[in-house]
Amino acid sequence: MADELLEEEFEEAPAGGEPPSPQQHFASTWGFLGKFGGVVGPIITTVFAFLMAGVAVAVIGKNPIKVYRAIYDGTGLNFFFHFGSYSIRLPFSTEHVWFWWDTSSPAAANLQQTLLITTPIICCALALSFAFRCGLFNIGGQGQYLVGSYFAVWVGTSFVHLSPFMHVVFCLVAGALAGALYAGIAGILKATVGAHEVITTIMLNWIAIWVGEWLFGQQGPLQNTSQPSIPISNDIATGAKLPIFWGPKLLQGLSIGIFIALGALVVYWLIINRTTLGFEVRAVGFNPDAARYSGISVARSYFLAMAIAGMFAGLGGALDITGWEYRLGQLDIPASTIGFIGLAAALLGRNTAIGILAASLLFGALINGTSGRQLDPTVFRPDLAGNLTIIIQGLVILFVGLDMTRLLAGARRKLRT
Amino acid sequence: MSAQGPILELRGITKRFPGVLANDAIDFDLEAGEVHALLGENGAGKSTLMNILYGLYTPDEGEILLRGQRIELGSTKAAIEHGIGMVHQHFMLIPVMTVAENIVLASEPRHAGVLLDYGAAAGRVNELSERYGLAVDPSARIDRITVGQQQRVEILKALYRGAEILVLDEPTAVLTPQEAQELFEIIRSLESQGKSIIFISHKLNEVLEIANRVSTLRRGKLVDTVSAAGATEESLARMMVGREVLLRVDKEPSHPGEPLLSVENLVVIDDRGLEVVHDVSLEVRAGEILGLAGVDGNGQSELIDVIAGLRHAESGRVILDGEDISHETARNALDRGIGHIPEDRHRRGLVLPFTLTENLALHAYRSAPDSRRGFLQLRRMLERARRLLKEFDVRGGTPSTPAAALSGGNQQKVVLAREIDADPKVLIAAQPTRGLDVGAIEFVHRRLVEQRDAGRAVFLVSLELEEILSLSDRILVIYEGRIVDEFPPTATEEELGFAMTGGRRDRAA
Amino acid sequence: MTAITARVGGFRWTSPRAVGIYGIGLGALAFWLALPPVAARTVLLPVFIGLLAMLAGVWAIARDEKRVGWGAVAAGAAGIGLGFLATRSSTANLDSVVVWSALFAATLRYATPLIYAAIGGLYCERSGVVNVALEGMLLTGAFFGIWTIIWAHTWAGDFAWVIALVGAALAGMLLATIHAVWSVSLKVDQIISGTALNFLAVGITGYIFIDKYGDSGTPGNITDYGIPDIHLNFLSGVPLIGPIFGQLNLMIWLSFLLLIGTQIFVFHTPYGLRLRSVGEHPRAADTVGISVYKTRYVAVIASGGIAALGGAYLSCGFVHSFNENMTQGIGFIGLAALVFGKWRPFPTWGATLLFGFSSALADRLPNAYGNQWGTLFQALPYVLTIIAVAGVIGRSVGPAAAGRPYEKQ
Repeated sequence: MADELLEEEFEEAPAGGEPPSPQQHFASTWGFLGKFGGVVGPIITTVFAFLMAGVAVAVIGKNPIKVYRAIYDGTGLNFFFHFGSYSIRLPFSTEHVWFWWDTSSPAAANLQQTLLITTPIICCALALSFAFRCGLFNIGGQGQYLVGSYFAVWVGTSFVHLSPFMHVVFCLVAGALAGALYAGIAGILKATVGAHEVITTIMLNWIAIWVGEWLFGQQGPLQNTSQPSIPISNDIATGAKLPIFWGPKLLQGLSIGIFIALGALVVYWLIINRTTLGFEVRAVGFNPDAARYSGISVARSYFLAMAIAGMFAGLGGALDITGWEYRLGQLDIPASTIGFIGLAAALLGRNTAIGILAASLLFGALINGTSGRQLDPTVFRPDLAGNLTIIIQGLVILFVGLDMTRLLAGARRKLRT
Repeated sequence: MSAQGPILELRGITKRFPGVLANDAIDFDLEAGEVHALLGENGAGKSTLMNILYGLYTPDEGEILLRGQRIELGSTKAAIEHGIGMVHQHFMLIPVMTVAENIVLASEPRHAGVLLDYGAAAGRVNELSERYGLAVDPSARIDRITVGQQQRVEILKALYRGAEILVLDEPTAVLTPQEAQELFEIIRSLESQGKSIIFISHKLNEVLEIANRVSTLRRGKLVDTVSAAGATEESLARMMVGREVLLRVDKEPSHPGEPLLSVENLVVIDDRGLEVVHDVSLEVRAGEILGLAGVDGNGQSELIDVIAGLRHAESGRVILDGEDISHETARNALDRGIGHIPEDRHRRGLVLPFTLTENLALHAYRSAPDSRRGFLQLRRMLERARRLLKEFDVRGGTPSTPAAALSGGNQQKVVLAREIDADPKVLIAAQPTRGLDVGAIEFVHRRLVEQRDAGRAVFLVSLELEEILSLSDRILVIYEGRIVDEFPPTATEEELGFAMTGGRRDRAA
Repeated sequence: MTAITARVGGFRWTSPRAVGIYGIGLGALAFWLALPPVAARTVLLPVFIGLLAMLAGVWAIARDEKRVGWGAVAAGAAGIGLGFLATRSSTANLDSVVVWSALFAATLRYATPLIYAAIGGLYCERSGVVNVALEGMLLTGAFFGIWTIIWAHTWAGDFAWVIALVGAALAGMLLATIHAVWSVSLKVDQIISGTALNFLAVGITGYIFIDKYGDSGTPGNITDYGIPDIHLNFLSGVPLIGPIFGQLNLMIWLSFLLLIGTQIFVFHTPYGLRLRSVGEHPRAADTVGISVYKTRYVAVIASGGIAALGGAYLSCGFVHSFNENMTQGIGFIGLAALVFGKWRPFPTWGATLLFGFSSALADRLPNAYGNQWGTLFQALPYVLTIIAVAGVIGRSVGPAAAGRPYEKQ
């Protein structure tokens, strides 16, 4: 209604003297957002979130600076600040070359862990972003990620006769497709009967969790065959594991999964900005009515956007299984929050490929730095720090939301079905 | 109501918005028991002035006097308390609630202190509607009564709140000529009972018919206040526009060819499951403009939707140049040669956050040269945008400007450019000039006539009789989903207006 | 909108729609007959009645009542399938699962947090603000309820639960205030704001919980001073009613009051009319002098308080402990119940009972079928929610302005 009045009063008005020029105002806002706001906003948001979380640390009598320092030390980001000239071995060869950083330092080992966690975060962030560009709020990244990992475990522990390359590719494809189909349920429901994706994807998350607990629980179909009392799956076959290119093979070195995730970022950018599908998705996201009037099938866009989003998340799950987890336990399933971290990373990264990369790295570092194995419990309890991370995510979304409104301007959202 | 001067006085009202001087030192007064018309084009500042009077805006300068006392109107509540009531152009009624609920909202009769007394509410509504001759059913839901009745509810709402001054903002815009006559009866009855009325309009004949005095605004300034008795349409028009204008489109006689679009026995069901188009048949021939006149909501939108493939007909056929397209999707209808300028460019015509390049490619993006094998060819899209922006004289933006940044007229040029560039056989123009200024209207009209002369079939759907009469080569009138009559372009507004009401059958039933 | 009322207005007992509804009922009957106490042991009975249901459905579909008709066909098929399974199960298994009084009592227990969430959501959404933060508000209430009850128990003794309810409600209202500021004043997208609050609620409650009770969990003796049950001894002899209503938690009875109160408030008081007007057409409300912002603030904050009471019931009246993220999507199910119930109190209550029943059933099934299948049955309420959101309420229309920030002129 406000728009109508504005329209009557300003836009069409050949009123006194100079014609009104809301375009200058508007153009400058958009220009500013593009040039500076795109980076400045998220940075301010992040700093603010960390400051407020620091207050929460101080409240329970800990020194926030010390805590953040300890978290930072565990992230491995300090790796980049030790320049030198080191002889390193090229991955997958016996050649040695000179390099600026010491790739076998303790910091390097920490960085490997950070990047391992960053990998699925990128994928889950893409799951939110792709749907978001179509005007859908996919909170179901967690469920889609879990379903992807279930299928990767199943394929990885079955089909052992496959050649190693085929086997790992099969694992990833199965995980990605499973995620796509799973998210596709919400997409179909949205496209056909208009069921709101927020409710359906949250419910699908819980269904994925319980199905997983059943699959990997005692006497579950995917429980291991040797120890019936332990609710955990078999290890996937060696051929279903991704090659490790950095760090120890047996102690969670960094697999090439990170490059697959980076590839997914590129694919995301390409689809959104350079393909007709992305064009349709963006048109529907900004204004479904206008998209419909120009012949775009809104229902098809909703379904495809959800399916592709789920594909990214499912791929993330499969990358985790084939990259370092190799097995899945019943207890891991409800404890996993990667999908939600991806959600926060996507919003902080403003749904742009570069932004998602930076934000995923930030959250990957934060998760790794606060993990039980990196954070010294005498400085700060890791389970406390875990909740601190969730608070930071919440604050980030809360403050990023102040900007997001503009991005959603076209898709007036109503929670109705 | 004694003769102690005007009941309401606005002195030196000035209101600025970023980049606009909407009201420039306006003086206005209203005598008790008179109808004072406020005349002006779209955007002349009438709505701003009335929103100030209703407490929605605060003026930057100037003062408001009520019965000689200076008053501050910081909110609508204050305006209501001072006895000022407003009937908005877009009704402020809640569709899912009843007439009574809408009328008593915010000053509800109660029993036991806290409970809403529905009985008393209905009683008060009946009492008021009898006193002022405004028949309504208090228990009817707003979305199930006619527009004319809704307007009565709006008036009753103001009277219920004890309004002495009533502001009617473009009240006849949504009414048929006959409904407008009924409204004038109501206004005269209110006037005779001592109410003072400000009647906002841009229709000269109405103003002369109903008003005692007429004030004219132009570009935010008050031109003059004259007595209606001594004024003529010509004198008012000159004041309103500042020059002699007659919206006449220069066009050659048409040379209609083969029918390009035929609609046969079309029946359409709307979203609510009601049959809104009954057995409609029509033909649009190459090289002619067929105008479809009708009051809003008589099935026009659904008819267009079906032709454009956005909705499927219950029965009947749509034939485009010999091909049956009744069961095609919107995409295929467009590809086969339907061009569509939708009636609401913000909601349907444009993706506002998209750049002009993207908006201009909204049809063409899907095929070569704008895309190859699913990948967009950005350079080709850009070339198209540059060419069209120049060809259609779109100002205020480059190809990378978001469409939201353009003025309404330029936005409509973008829509027009896209649709015409797709080289359609049939061009549907739904309300193509709504809300545009005179210059933009002329541009759009010229382009439509050009398309006709280029041998396309143009199907113009408009609520503006003037537009229909000046552009069309043939005119059909739609009423309650039926084509009720056909007229040549020499028909008068009165003839059309009569047909548009379909012999005055009462729709409320 | 109008179509719905038009159809309801024109309801006739022999209309295709009515026949479709009978079909759905027959489908349920087919299953019910195979359960105790009737426990028909022949497959023929459920198959016969299920086929009747499907027939009714097909008849309705043929007469253009597609939605209800397909519902009847599905209900018939489900009735046959479930009835078949039930007749194939041992009577002992059936008896241990289907104890109607225990099932109904458990249904009420599981439905109660949902009711509080849904009614909280009703106020919020009726004012035009979408509230996906109900989940977080429940969780906040659950934690702060148990935190205050433990603290208050040291000085208020057996009445600590009163303090706990106040504490929980205040905490929920505080969280809701953020939602109000963000969505009403700052005009942030309401779903994003709600999602952020869900994160904050998990993080903050988890953080304090770990800090306070991280090593051993909340104390085990909360059972002794939690929100009390109401014992109605005079009912003890009445079959079915006695076991269901004889010993219910105070908060369950309060939820009934809340329902009635909400119905009266929303539809029979001036304030309810204003609330609805703000949610339907805020500008219209504004032009008659109702403050849209104030109304929305009050409604959102009230919704936080009400939802938090449901959380307090969950932790202090039902499970008597707290765990990280213990609400497990209940808030969202409550939201779905609200949509299912078309934003009206009593239909919404019906929906919460349906979801509560599925939880109760999922809880009892492991008795007969072992833990492994029991785990899978835990997914039942969530599946049912999706079906509900997708199926029946496809055309449920909410407050027209829900989700849109109001821009004052």
